Amino acid sequence: MSQAPVVRLQNVTKVIGKRTIIDRVSFEVRPGEVFGFLGPNGSGKTTTIRMIVGLMGMSSGDIHIGTHSVRTEFPKAIVQVGAIVENPEMYKFLTGYQNLLHYARMNPSITKERIQEVIELVGLQDRIHDKVKKYSLGMRQRLGVAQAVMHRPKLLVLDEPTNGLDPAGIRELRDYLRRLAQDEGTAVLVSSHLLSEMELMCDRVAILQKGQIIDVRSIRGQDGDAATLEEVQFDVDHPDAALGIFEGSGRMVDGQLALSLDRAGIAAINRRLVEAGINVYGIHVKTKSLEDQFLEMTGSETIG
Amino acid sequence: MANFMNLIQNENMKIYRRVRTWIMLGIIVFLPILISLGVLAASGTDAGSSWSMMIIESTISLMLITIFTAVVASETVAGEFTWGTIKLLLIRPWSRSAILLSKYISTLLFALALTVITFVITLLINMAVFGSSDGEQLSSVAGMSNMEYVLQFYLLQFVSLIIIITFGFMMSSAFRSSGLAIGLSIFLLFAGSIITGLLAMTDKPWVEYILFMHLDLTSYINNAQGPFQNHPMSLGFSLGVLAIYFVVFNLISWSVFRKRDIAA
Repeated sequence: MSQAPVVRLQNVTKVIGKRTIIDRVSFEVRPGEVFGFLGPNGSGKTTTIRMIVGLMGMSSGDIHIGTHSVRTEFPKAIVQVGAIVENPEMYKFLTGYQNLLHYARMNPSITKERIQEVIELVGLQDRIHDKVKKYSLGMRQRLGVAQAVMHRPKLLVLDEPTNGLDPAGIRELRDYLRRLAQDEGTAVLVSSHLLSEMELMCDRVAILQKGQIIDVRSIRGQDGDAATLEEVQFDVDHPDAALGIFEGSGRMVDGQLALSLDRAGIAAINRRLVEAGINVYGIHVKTKSLEDQFLEMTGSETIG
Repeated sequence: MANFMNLIQNENMKIYRRVRTWIMLGIIVFLPILISLGVLAASGTDAGSSWSMMIIESTISLMLITIFTAVVASETVAGEFTWGTIKLLLIRPWSRSAILLSKYISTLLFALALTVITFVITLLINMAVFGSSDGEQLSSVAGMSNMEYVLQFYLLQFVSLIIIITFGFMMSSAFRSSGLAIGLSIFLLFAGSIITGLLAMTDKPWVEYILFMHLDLTSYINNAQGPFQNHPMSLGFSLGVLAIYFVVFNLISWSVFRKRDIAA
């Protein structure tokens, strides 16, 4: 991917009092990419996101959206950004439509037709003229998405978007974000502490701890990589006999034979077990989940 | 970038789409009518004279308007924090100053609307009920017509109203809770005038620089020395002191709002 990044953070630092909340954070998000921002509570996810959208100032460093600095050209930078910062808070005494109209008036590119289009996109057409105080959380979340994408932003920022959503709502949001990234080339920056969610949603994740990025890694592209060694467990009727065959390389885990193998190796081992007259009931690949990796990296340390 | 009028339109929508605002408007419209009809029912047409009834009702209504606009001004910024909508409001292609200015203007327009409504209603109802008897003279200044007096009265009241809005607006920018901003604004307005009333009885010269010494500007129409006997001042001096408070309040509102980190 050689496209210019949609958002670029350079050594962004935030000091409040004597504490450094965010310490020289740098990363980029490219067009069409879903970028996850992962970290334990208090690691600085929300602060970083608020600096990107200009709700908080930075002590040093700079953030560019496209070619415009959030610091010095705020209106030109922010016009390319759509955001849901935590729960989508709306004016409860206004209708859904009036809420959208309110934000549409602040952006010259949004036409009445576009408002209508977005309402249908999020499926609120039947209730859009009801007051927001009568909306369920899921409907408010949809309205939140509508206001965020109305002006076709190049960057969509979501802070803990799945908070308070039911599983169906989470799934819907996830599918929608992926579609937006693929079809419209929108860069999506999403923060969460829900690791399993991030694993399903993101192309890359940055792991943040104590205000510093400790790792940035790709999530997609790893699966199906034939050369990777993974731990594979074989559920067999005579584990001891099986272990005897693979003396040295094999181990016993939970009464099953365990080996470190690549894809070709799995097939070979299976054949040898069958040839030795051992029944194989199941083969399990123990993929290290993002959660395992995350806890490995951050788990033992205290939140600071 | 886009049209600044849109921002004012937004702020107006947030004022006039609330039931509260229409209750306020209802009180302002019906209270003078009820008072005039009440006086008429109690003592007949000859009891009241239309001009002095207008001033009495205007004084009452303007007191209510002071409270109403202080509430609206105090909530306009702090309310966005309380509702959490500030986060979505500030991530639009507008500077914070522009957003704050649109809120300030819409609050001033609200105060202006209430004041004009009060003027029209009190004028019409009293002309209708008591007739335009010109036998009375409101002002003790020779040659000043009643209409001149009433217009000066409203103009000077509106100047005080602008200061109160600016004060409420400052509280609104300073506090992130609309309840606290409203409560504190109203409390300070009342406590301030009571305490100042007491302080005015002393002969300390610094008393003349307290804000609340200058909010009753209408006294200057009939008395060039102003409302306090032992602290003779002039209208020009009062306006000068108010101008300084106006600038200071606005400087505080703007600098607090522009620099604040939206953390909550």
